[in-house]
Amino acid sequence: MNAITLSAVSKSYGEVLAVDGLSLTMERGRTVALLGPNGAGKSTTINMLLGLVRPTAGDIRVLGHTPDEAVRRGEIGAMLQEGTLIPEMTVRELVDFIRRLYPEPLPLDEVLQMADLTALAGRRAGKLSGGQAQRVRFALAIAGAPALLVLDEPTAAMDVESRRAFWANMRNYSAQGRTVLFATHYLEEADENSDRVIVVARGKVVADGTAAEIKAGVGGSVVGFSLGEQSSAGLDALPGVTAVEILAGSVTLRTADPDATVAALYRGTSLEVRDLQINGADLEDAFLALTQPAEA
Amino acid sequence: MLNYITFEAKRMLRNKRYIIFVVAFPVAFYLLYSNLWGDQVDDGTGVKATVILMVSMAAYGALAASLMSTSVPWSQERQTGWLRQLQITPLPSWMIILTKLIASLLLVLPSLLLVVLAAVVTQHVSLGAGQWATLIPIMWIGTIPFAALGLMIGSLVPPDTAQPLAMISMFGLALLGGLWFPVSMLPQTMQTIAHALPSYDYADIGWEIVAGHTPPASAVAGLLAWAVALGALALFAYRRATVRA
Repeated sequence: MNAITLSAVSKSYGEVLAVDGLSLTMERGRTVALLGPNGAGKSTTINMLLGLVRPTAGDIRVLGHTPDEAVRRGEIGAMLQEGTLIPEMTVRELVDFIRRLYPEPLPLDEVLQMADLTALAGRRAGKLSGGQAQRVRFALAIAGAPALLVLDEPTAAMDVESRRAFWANMRNYSAQGRTVLFATHYLEEADENSDRVIVVARGKVVADGTAAEIKAGVGGSVVGFSLGEQSSAGLDALPGVTAVEILAGSVTLRTADPDATVAALYRGTSLEVRDLQINGADLEDAFLALTQPAEA
Repeated sequence: MLNYITFEAKRMLRNKRYIIFVVAFPVAFYLLYSNLWGDQVDDGTGVKATVILMVSMAAYGALAASLMSTSVPWSQERQTGWLRQLQITPLPSWMIILTKLIASLLLVLPSLLLVVLAAVVTQHVSLGAGQWATLIPIMWIGTIPFAALGLMIGSLVPPDTAQPLAMISMFGLALLGGLWFPVSMLPQTMQTIAHALPSYDYADIGWEIVAGHTPPASAVAGLLAWAVALGALALFAYRRATVRA
């Protein structure tokens, strides 16, 4: 059984089509990033998975159930983009309250520990910093030991240090065989913290795979060298090469397979190659290429 | 459910505004008024003002407690995303409003009982056991229409509107309902309006009980009608506020 199955799901708000016939499946036990620019339909998709928003068309299954059923059975925990805590309550009281709403929650101390909140347990929510409040919201999301953890841009308000700690906590939770789906518009976050990246733009899936596959899919790597006066004939036929640019004696090869390209460059040609440079795939370029509207 | 009720009650008891307006005010005003006019005796019934004021201030405290513990907190929860946080847990939606109602009833008790306690201890008010046994439960359960009004306000408007609206409702109902001064002091038209309000019916039941009368059927029917009407409106507003788009 899949953790999530979306079949031709659409959601429109009046004239605006936020999600456009989205179909995808997510296996259990994986950590998947939903990557896309603002307005791509990530939050709408997540809110539909949680039963907070009804799709205009299509069918959604979460662990074999409708979203409402899955929520009622306590199988989903989520950190939404917005969410203020009750200021009068302490961290421990908030976490324990949410925990007890679930049928088989994690032990309180374990939740606090997994969210780095043990030292803050007695503090009132109204006296927490932004980053600390985010940790509490993470704790609320995992407190019920949900099989599916959904995080909608969880690090949006965090500094670099908190971000690193946050992802470590997330991996710690997902390592226990649970499924995690997180939305982000940060490329590195998707790259570093997921084993599958689903790129969405304008309400549709535009790429789906590991971060490496996505980079390769748009011919991400660049091999450059100095050619001088030598002939450029045959460079476009080297393995993996998708584009050749020559400017003032310098060659730039775009390639899907830099290793094969370089090997063939040395063994298969008689060129004297100088100043060789291989630049790793630029995910930023890949991302932009995928999510920009096609030019008419 | 119990988990949620204690959570809600604890949270309000830590709220300074709630404690000042709802718990401290009625007691303080009771003590002040009793010292000013406590010796007066109602010509019609022969009941001392200390007793009538006990009912009035307890009614005011209870009314304030139900409105304050429902309207603004509930509106804030909707706007700040706490409601969404609850909606993605296994907690059923109907349990949220039921808990709010029960918690508001619990939160009425401190105001109600403290005014009564102040009356008994400082003014030596004494009633028959039967009078106490009817007065307190009726004044307690009688706050349901006000809790419904508060939940309705909280469901319909954002917090910055809910705040003044709750305040206006609270003082309007208290003043016109005769909790601060007798309705008979108002001009005739205002009296007609006052008599139609749930706060008047509510306090009137209390005044009649302490005067040794059976509560008038009209007041009981009036309060019940308000409870049903405001309850239905609150449910409707609640459903509208929690509907999934």
